[in-house]
Formats: sequence, structure tokens, C-alpha cells
Amino acid sequence: MSAETLYGLCAAALVGLGLFGSIVDPQPLRKILAFNLLGGGVFLLFGVIARRGAAAGMAADPVPQAMVITGIVVAFSATALAVTLLLRLFETTGQATLRTGAPARPDPDSDRAGS
Amino acid sequence: MPPAVTLASAATAGGFLLVLAIILPAAGVLLALAFGRHAERIALLLMPAGFAIAIAILADVWHSQASLVAVMGGWAPPLGIALRADGLSAMMLVTTALVICAVGLFARGDFGMPAGGGEARAPLVFWTMLMGVWSALNAIWLGRDLFNLYVALELLTFSAVPLVCLDGRAETLAAALRYLLFALVGSVLYLLGVALFYGAYGTLDIGLLAGRVRAEPVVWVSAALMTAGLLAKTALFPLHLWLPPAHAGAPAAASAVLSALVVKGSFFLAVRLWFDVLPGLPGVPAAQALGTLGAAAIIFGSVLALRQERLKLLIAYSTIAQIGYLFLLFPLSTGAAAAGIWGSVAWTGGVYQLVSHAIAKAAMFMAAGLIGEALGHDRIAGLGGIGRALPMTIFAFGLGGMSLMGLPPSGGFVAKLMLLTASVTEGQWWWAVVILLGGLLAAAYVFRVLAPALAGADEPLRLCARVSRRREAVVLALAVGALLLGLLPLRPSELLQIGRPAAPTAIMR
Amino acid sequence: MTGAEALLAVSLATPLAMLAACLSPRLRARMPGLLAIAPVPALAAAFLSPGAGVALPPALLGLTLALDMPGAILLGTAALLWIIAGIYAAASLRGQANGGRFAAWWLLTLAGSLGVFITADLVSFYLVFAMVSLAAYGLVVDDGTPRARRAGGVYVSLAVLGEAFLLMGFVLLAAATPGSSLLIHDAVAALPASPWRGSTLLLLILGFGLKVGLVPGHVWMPLAYSAAPAPAAAVLSGAAVKAGVIGLIRFLPFGAALPDWGGALAAAGLVSAFYGVAVGITQANPKTVLAYSSVSQMGLITAVLGMGLAGGNAGAVLGASLYAAHHILVKGALFLAVGVVQAGGARRLWPVLLPAAMLALSLAGLPLTGGALAKLAVKAPLGDGIVGQFATWSAAGSTLLMLHFLARLAAAAAPAIQGPVPARIVLPWLAAALASVAIPWALFLTAGSGTLSEALAPATLWAAIWPVLAGGVLAIGLRRWGRWLPRLPEGDVVVLAEGATGAARASGEALERADVLLRQWPVAGVVLLALAVILGAAMLAGH
Repeated sequence: MSAETLYGLCAAALVGLGLFGSIVDPQPLRKILAFNLLGGGVFLLFGVIARRGAAAGMAADPVPQAMVITGIVVAFSATALAVTLLLRLFETTGQATLRTGAPARPDPDSDRAGS
Repeated sequence: MPPAVTLASAATAGGFLLVLAIILPAAGVLLALAFGRHAERIALLLMPAGFAIAIAILADVWHSQASLVAVMGGWAPPLGIALRADGLSAMMLVTTALVICAVGLFARGDFGMPAGGGEARAPLVFWTMLMGVWSALNAIWLGRDLFNLYVALELLTFSAVPLVCLDGRAETLAAALRYLLFALVGSVLYLLGVALFYGAYGTLDIGLLAGRVRAEPVVWVSAALMTAGLLAKTALFPLHLWLPPAHAGAPAAASAVLSALVVKGSFFLAVRLWFDVLPGLPGVPAAQALGTLGAAAIIFGSVLALRQERLKLLIAYSTIAQIGYLFLLFPLSTGAAAAGIWGSVAWTGGVYQLVSHAIAKAAMFMAAGLIGEALGHDRIAGLGGIGRALPMTIFAFGLGGMSLMGLPPSGGFVAKLMLLTASVTEGQWWWAVVILLGGLLAAAYVFRVLAPALAGADEPLRLCARVSRRREAVVLALAVGALLLGLLPLRPSELLQIGRPAAPTAIMR
Repeated sequence: MTGAEALLAVSLATPLAMLAACLSPRLRARMPGLLAIAPVPALAAAFLSPGAGVALPPALLGLTLALDMPGAILLGTAALLWIIAGIYAAASLRGQANGGRFAAWWLLTLAGSLGVFITADLVSFYLVFAMVSLAAYGLVVDDGTPRARRAGGVYVSLAVLGEAFLLMGFVLLAAATPGSSLLIHDAVAALPASPWRGSTLLLLILGFGLKVGLVPGHVWMPLAYSAAPAPAAAVLSGAAVKAGVIGLIRFLPFGAALPDWGGALAAAGLVSAFYGVAVGITQANPKTVLAYSSVSQMGLITAVLGMGLAGGNAGAVLGASLYAAHHILVKGALFLAVGVVQAGGARRLWPVLLPAAMLALSLAGLPLTGGALAKLAVKAPLGDGIVGQFATWSAAGSTLLMLHFLARLAAAAAPAIQGPVPARIVLPWLAAALASVAIPWALFLTAGSGTLSEALAPATLWAAIWPVLAGGVLAIGLRRWGRWLPRLPEGDVVVLAEGATGAARASGEALERADVLLRQWPVAGVVLLALAVILGAAMLAGH
């Protein structure tokens, strides 16, 4: 088994784990972690692609690496934003859960127009 | 190399406008963060400039009858990154500028900085994120590189999420978090598809990729992943879990931007992917599958809208239904008979729907915001007599509703007419049934709001707050715009053909 | 643009300009007094502009306007009724708080109602048709009672349904028209050769059938006309409903003989003609009785057009137009009569009942009245066959229904004497009554091909009088045994349809439950992945 195949399989496994976590796990924090796992898998895939490009005679294909760096920045920002939201939610309600399937109508007793 | 590629790689004279269209709002974000107290003033000053740029790009594209191209740093693709404005991009740029400017004028009273001289968080976030949404959207309309478009899509999400929870209530925070997390899963799927494309073809430039893709498994896998990811971000039924609470909970000005523009960004990328990157490759069954989801969205969203008790939730569910119409574009212009002028009827109709829904829905959300402000609630059952208190606002809501129903002469009417015509000439009459049924249901839910609003109140109406005439006028102007869209002679169809040598006529297979 | 062409544009623009003026609260308050002015240019256009045609620039909606002979007949009489009813409305609205709102709906309905007679392209026609159909809602629910709101709800649902049928029909028409012409004339000329001829005809007949109240699409008529104020009911039943008639006239391909379609349409029309009488005689409210009479009369007009379609006889169009023109005036005047009786008291009943009786029998076709001429005009198109026989018998039915109406009208008078009825209410009504006699004569002798000697021939008179006598005999029977008749609710079968709303509600609840399920995070996540797989598989299957 070549290194690329091994890394590719690892990437697939990470993506699978990440997807499983982000779908099944009800805790928002774990969903955020699962998203990072998912992102890690995709970045590893980019690495595999960069490596494969190197087989064409170059030392390595630099473009996927540039994309991975950008992707990491994006994923980091996403994580930061999500964690901030989660913290605010925790401060406001005292709990860090998302009620799945929140009722279609917000609390009918509250008289606010949402503005 | 096909001619489209050589076309895309040469920068045109007006290319700097494309860069400006993205940079200007982004500069607004930075300036607003640096001088927080003046965020509102900075945003409002930038709006006319941004609008002028959008108009200039449209004029340039129309005048030269060719795409505007900018090449970053003088490096041609595949090394560099290109921006390109075809007719569709130009139209979206102008629509975006129009809605953003209207929202800005509307929000002036809502999100003013406190008089004491300090800076408040909600106004700062609102104005910076509004600029952020604008910049990201312009990047999406103009981008020619799939990875670049990924970054723009993420910027769009990151700017939109804070808009959802501006008021910091627990339920809007939860809605924002759900939105963000679901959108993130969608964007990872998109990125996965991007990686596969790069691995297979060694480029992500749309023009180059279109020349290299072949009908093979890797294309199908990555196209399916990218499309599914984009559907999640567009909230196409049944992936709409995040939309109703997010759009209904946000302040009116923010809801208007979210419903009118933000969901359209990811839809636009799906269109780019199917018609520019993979002309004809996804094939008829996949297009029918997308159309089926769209049809389900129309019926489902409309019925749910009919059953809501709150005005903003009704409008949010109506957005789900109206998004459904957009996806009828896929089967109707991918069909076997999509030749010549008829292929472009569905195409034009879909884009008309995109633009007219953007304008009408922004007006309706802002009208709902004013109603909520005046009444202190937005229960539909309690709207009795509001028509006499806020005639301009209710009139604007009705005009927007006309566009949703597809009554002449609104833009929605033209859109539905074209989609119906396409479904007849393509022999796909089942979409026509859905379009008509959706129109009936839309009439029902708009009527459900207008009937009590126009009737007299059972008890004298008690208004909590006075609504400024200026804000009413902004909403009305936007709604009239949605109506007038139907009066444009059919120039848009010509505009949309600019810069599209390959699509959609080359789709036969 | 010549003067005649400009007049067409002005007749559409005047009510719309007045509507725009309603945006100013001050002008809106004064608008009820000015309602009668709005249709004046249209009346002038009916005389001066026949044969004119004009395509307006895109800035003016790109409307194409044209006036042919049937259009001119209907435009003129409808404009006349709108003027008379406008005067009546101005008087009855005096001092009412919501007069401005009523005036706005009135003007919008008016613009649409007159617009359908002069628009010549598909899109403009659809626009004005939607205007007259939907704006009438505001007139129906004017008094805001629960009964009016129910009537408005039923009305607007069916109106929107009709719009949907028409939209699809128009799309099919346009798709089958060679070239890019959107003119109704070109589209209908291409219809007989259209690949979708059957579906197009069906959709058009369904759409316009709902408007003219073909059974069972008639259910909105009794509800809406009895709920609307008298002047509104007058213009809705007289003028607005003719949008459906002109629709059938403009869109059915009379140039080609289509016996199947024509026969079916004639049969549907005759069913309506008798159904309206049968249910009408069970009704107590005089306005409801008049509404069922409208169902019956519109059915007869439809039957005439159906026979024209069956035989490829374009002459049926002129006959139907003359018949419809008479109906515009006489039905408008009858609804105003109800208003006059309700405004007055029992003591002053006879001066009102006498002209009303003349109007009612005119509708039934009493010799020398406008109604007899109207019946004469459609005699040839209906033919001597079974359809013609049934049509003659329907005149007896009309007599019966109208005598029943007179009885109910007398019973509906306010028991207390409310002082003299103001002249500004009585005079417009008398004008309408007079017009309903004079105008058909004028039209019969000018626009139609009729002659005085033909109208006064003994055979013609006898053919007109015996159904009236037969109807009189039936009316005596009704008076004697009428109490054994069942009391049907207004709008009869609509009650069944309203019962079915429970099923609709249940399916709505099911969708709502599905929504809650689909918005569970794990469900949505799995659906997302499933969609990716399905899309990939579909793409694979496509190659």
C-alpha cells in the first residue's frame, strides 16, 4: 500500500468520523469538535493530492498546500465563532444544548415581535 | 483550448470595477471595526459608492456585450485567480446593491449609535456584518475559482450568523448556532468536492475546469457532494431546519438581507456548478431529482406558511417555498429539448424569480418589522385594523405578496409565466401543476395576512410605537420596485445571455 | 395616436388615475362623490372608438388596446351601468366613514371591468381580468360582517382558482402561437391547430366558467351578491361578471367548428340555466334570488356561445353580446331596486314595485321589453333543435324565478316607514330601468341586424309571450305549494365543499408534524448525506 493510499484512507476515516459526530451527537460542543475532525480529513485529502501531484516530477504541488492553509484559517474562524455563540448561549440560559427540533412556533406567551 | 477559456484569461479594461465591488464593502468592515462609533456613517457613505459600482459594471457589460474580466496580480489562471462578470453576475450585483441600500436606509433608525457617544454592540455588529455580507456576496457573484468561492461562501455564512442573533436572546442564539453548525457541514461537503476536482483535473478555475471535465465517477461524486453542501446552505426542503427560527428571529432589517440575499449565494453557486463548470454532465435524472425537491419545497413551504400564527414565521416559510421555484430551473433547462430560445426561457424565468423574490421578500420582511414595531407583536390574528394605521406598509406588503402569488405585472408573474412556458414546451407539465398550486397557496397565505389587516378592528387598535414615514417609504419603494420588475421589457433575457457561450444550449446529450 | 385610440387609453387610465389620487387622504375622502366620472371616457370610447387599436409604449405597461363590435356593445352598456351605480353609490355612501376605502376598491374593479373589453393581448387581458376578479373582493366584504367575510373568502378562493386555470391556458395559447405575437387574435387563430388544443380549451372554459358561474362554479355568486351593498352588487352582477362572457367571446375559436367542445359547453350552460331557477325559487333573500337568476342567465349566454362554437358560427358572438348587454342593465337595475326598497318603507312600496316588475319581466323576455329583443337576438344561434327548445323553456323558468323575486322583494321592505326615499337614490335607479328598455332597442336596430318589423311580427310576439304565460302559471303553483320546497342554503353545494376543509386541515397538520420531524438535527443530517448519495447515483444513472 502506497503512502498516498494510506493517507487517503485516513482522510476518509476522519471524514466519516466527523460526519458521524456532527450528525449524531446532540452536544453542540461535540458537534464543533466533529466539524474540526471533518475539516481535518478534508485537509489531509488536500495533502494527499499535493503529494500525488509531486509524482509528476515536482517536489510537491504547492497549490493544495496554500488551500489547506486558507482552509485552516477558515475552519479556525468558524470554530471561534461557534464557540463564542455557544458561550453566549451558556451565559444566557445556563446550559449549552440545542433542543433538536425546536417547536415551529416560538413561545406563544412572549409578546415580542423578534425585533 | 475552448474559446471560453481564452476569453476568461484576458483581463478587460473595466476589470478594476470588479475588484472594487469586493474591496469597497470589505474596507467598510475594517473601517467600521477601527472607528466603531462611526460604523453607521461609514456604511451609509459606502452604500451609494457600492451601488454606483454595481451599476457601472452592469452598464459596461451591457454596453460591450461581453463579460468583464479581472485577473488578480496579472497572473492568468490556472496560476492566478480571475474575477468575471457575465450578464447574470451583473444582474445579481445590482440586485444586491439595491437590497443592501434599502436595508441600510431602513435600518438607520433601528441601529443608530447611542447618543451618548459610546458604541453599542448591536449597531456595530449590524453595520459591519451588513458590509461583510455585501462583500462576500459580490465575491460569490464574481468568483471564477471554486476554492475562492468556498472562502467567499464561508465569509457569507460568518457575516450572516451574527445578524441572526443581534438581540442576544437565547432563542436567537440557539437559532444562530444551529444555522452555523449546519452550514458548516454543508461547506465541508462542498470543500470535499473541491478537493476531488483539484485532484482529478489540477485546476479549480471554472473556465479551465469546464474544458477538462469528462463524464466519469469522480465528477459525479464531487458534483453530488458540492451540490448537497450547497443545498444545505440554501435551506432547500428537506434541509430547511435552520431557516425558520433564524430568519424569523432576527431583526427585520437582518431578516430581509438573510432571506432576500444570503440564501441566494449558495443557490447561485449551484447554478454555476451545474451550468458553467459541468455543462450537461449532471444529466436528466439528477436535474429531475433537484426539481422534485424544489416542487416539494413549494408545496411544503406554502402549506406550512399557511399554518403559521406569526407573521415573520409565515414569511420565513414562504421563503422556503420560493426557494423551491428556483430549483425548477434545473430540470427545465437541462431537459433533452433544451435547445435554442426555450432553454433560455427557463433560465431567464429562474433568474427573474431570483431577483424578484429578493426584492419582494426584503420588502415584506421590513414591512413585517414595522408592523411588529407598531403593534408590539406579530400575531396574525391580532392584525385587525393595522391597514388603517400603517396604510403604506400594508400596501407594500400587498405588493410584495402580489409578486409571490405571481399576479401581473409583478416580477414574480413574469418569472412564473416563463417557468410555466418552459414546462409546457419541454413537455414537463408536472412542474406547471406545482407552480400553479404554489401560486394558489401563496395567494392563500398572503390573503390570510391582508384580510384581517384591511378589515376593521374588533376593538380600537392600540399602537405601541410610532413608525417613521421615512422607513415606511423605503419599504414601499422596494415593493414598488418588485412590481415594476415585471414592466421591464424582456431585456434581462438578452443580458443573461452575455458571456454564456456554452450554457445552456450545449446541454443536449 | 389618433383621438379614437387615445380615448381607449384614457378610458382605462381615468379610473386608475383616480385610484392613485386616493393615496392622498384628503382626495380619498372626496372620492365617493366623483365615482360616476370614472367610466365617462369609456362610454365615449364605446361610441367613438370601435375599430380602433393601439399598442401603448412599454412605459405604460406595453398594453395593446383594441375595440371590436362585441367589445364596444359591452363596454358602452357596462360603462353606463357603472356611471348610474356610481351616482347611486355616491348617494348611499354619503356620510359613511369608510367611503374612501369603498371608492378605492370600486375604482380598481371598475378599471378591470372596463379593461377586459378593450385589451387585445394576453398579458394585458390577464392583468385587467385579475384586477376585476380580485378587487371585487373589497366590494363584497365592505360591511365587514362575518357573513360578508365568508362570502368574500369563498369568492376570492374561486377567483384565484380561476386565475390559475386562465394563466395556464394563456401559457398554452402563447406556446402554440407561431412567432412572438401575444395578441389574443393571433393566439386564438392558432388554437385549432395547437398540439394542446384540448387542454387549452378545457382550462379556458374552466377559468371563464368560474367567472360566469357555470354550475358548480356558481357557488360564489349567491354569497357575494347578497353580501355586497346594493350598488356594488349591481355592478358586480351586471358589469363585472361580463368579464367572463367577453373572455369566452375572445378566446373560443369560433372560426373553427368544434362540435364536441361546443356541445359540451352548451349543455353545461343549459344545466346552469335550469339549475339557477330550481335553486333560486327556494331562496328567501331577494338579492340571493337575483344571484341565482344571474347563474341562470349566464348559463344561457354560455349555451349560445357553445352553439356558436359547435357550428363554427361567429354570428353567435353578436347575439350573445346583445343578450349580455341587456343583462348588464336589467340586472344592475334590479339590484338597485332592492336597495331602494330597503331604503324606503312598506307604504311607498307600489311606486317601486311597478317598475321593478317591468324590469323583472323584461329579464324573462316579455314582448316589447329589451329582454324580448335579447331573446330574439340569440334565437338564430341557438337554433331550432333541442338546445333551442330548452332555451325557450328556460324563459318560462326565468318568469317563474322573477315572479318569486317580486314576492320576496315586497316581503323584504322595511316594515317601519322611514320617510321618503331620497331622490338621489331613486333617480339613478329609474335611469337604469329606462336604459334597460331603451338601450336594447337601440342596439338591436343599429349594432344588430334586426328590423322593427321583425321585432313586432305576431309570430315573434307569440313566441315571446307563451313562455311568460307558462312561467306565470308555474308561479301560481309555486305560491300555492311553495312551502313544500326544501330551504336550500345560499350557495347550495358550497356547504359540502366547506365540509371538506376538515380534510385539508388534517393534511396540513400532517405536514406540520413532518416538519417537526424533518427539523430534528439527526434526521436533517442523514437526509443531507442521503441527498448527496441520491444525486451521485442519479448522475451515474444519467450516463
